[in-house]
Amino acid sequence: MIFSRSVLFIVLAMFISCGFAASAPKMSSDEMAKAARVDALTIPTPGELMTALNKVGKPNWQQQYRPPIPTAFTSRPQIALNLGGLIADGYLAVEAEDSQQVKNIGKDIVTLAKTLGVSENVLRRGKSITDFAENNEWSALKEELEATQNEVKLAMEEQHDNDLVTLVTLGGWIRGTEVVSGWIAQNYSPAAAKLLRQPAIVSFLRAKIDTLPPKVQSEDVVKGVRKRLVEIEQLVSFPREQTPTVDDVKKLKTAADGLVEEITKK
Amino acid sequence: MKRIVTLLLFPLVALSPLCASTDDEVAARKTVLDLAGAFSNDGFKLRDGSFSGVIHPKESLFVQVNLYAGNQYWFSVGANEKAKKLAVTIFDETGKAIESEPYQDDAKAAAGFSPDASGAYYIRVQELEGEPANFCLIYSYK
Repeated sequence: MIFSRSVLFIVLAMFISCGFAASAPKMSSDEMAKAARVDALTIPTPGELMTALNKVGKPNWQQQYRPPIPTAFTSRPQIALNLGGLIADGYLAVEAEDSQQVKNIGKDIVTLAKTLGVSENVLRRGKSITDFAENNEWSALKEELEATQNEVKLAMEEQHDNDLVTLVTLGGWIRGTEVVSGWIAQNYSPAAAKLLRQPAIVSFLRAKIDTLPPKVQSEDVVKGVRKRLVEIEQLVSFPREQTPTVDDVKKLKTAADGLVEEITKK
Repeated sequence: MKRIVTLLLFPLVALSPLCASTDDEVAARKTVLDLAGAFSNDGFKLRDGSFSGVIHPKESLFVQVNLYAGNQYWFSVGANEKAKKLAVTIFDETGKAIESEPYQDDAKAAAGFSPDASGAYYIRVQELEGEPANFCLIYSYK
């Protein structure tokens, strides 16, 4: 059984059998192509990847911290990318159960959000993050971090900055991938390496970047991201039955490092 | 004939995580949150995003998600009272249906599973009985 007794009890108590779904007909290629892709659901949070890694290893998450990043960017796409990265750092601090680091990251998120002019709603979230961190409410913090990210995105949409939403997602995903590939490169196991298989995510993000307005695409940081994502897509697009070698993981870590560096450079 | 409606072709399917604004949308969201609350009590983290809109009887709607091997997931859907029977089915990246723990009760349904491989999966929401209804799909993981 994959789920605990209490959940199964709840399920069975209300259960009306509809049979296991495995007998359903296969999806057509048209159905797969036309399936909805929703930023807030299709792209997993960095926290989901970290949760999966916790099942196959005992990461020392604090070792994956990075020095504080600059928060005085002038390029809006770059701010959006770094906001996503900071939210991933927030998940990292939550995994490390480091309340001071969570509060520091929360402060940086608010500072960056202010430069985009989306700080009012995020300020409230920043306060919640601090409160949860002070009370060591790690589980609630994971949900609060995603809610903060969605609050930032919603504020961007309200300001007609829809183009930046994808960049927040991308910034978070790449920082999460850097953290996890970094740990796996140092503590290699086949099960952990197979977690890095994420072809559809990069494909989704690349497609979104291709639809950004020419003005946004012409920004140096976006051009750099676009170029580097091609290499990263190849590194995370191995077949299901294949296990990446330690060298493969190191290559991904190097590529993710390069992209994060590109995003954070002043 | 089964109708496949995509996000691009069907503007009623909302993208925002805060998609509930009409009474029917609020009802659908409340229903699914009540259901997912049971999983949260068991340590499942609730994603803040949702896939929502209007579903018609005999209609199937699909959304792609990306999941990690070893994690446990519950996909929950709720609708307003106009829906009488819903179903959730999980497919792998080749389009093959996956065996899952099913739950179905009037205007709410769920499917739980733990993937063997990381990658893309597809979640199908079906309205098996009822009238056109607002629905809301969310997922939880641990």
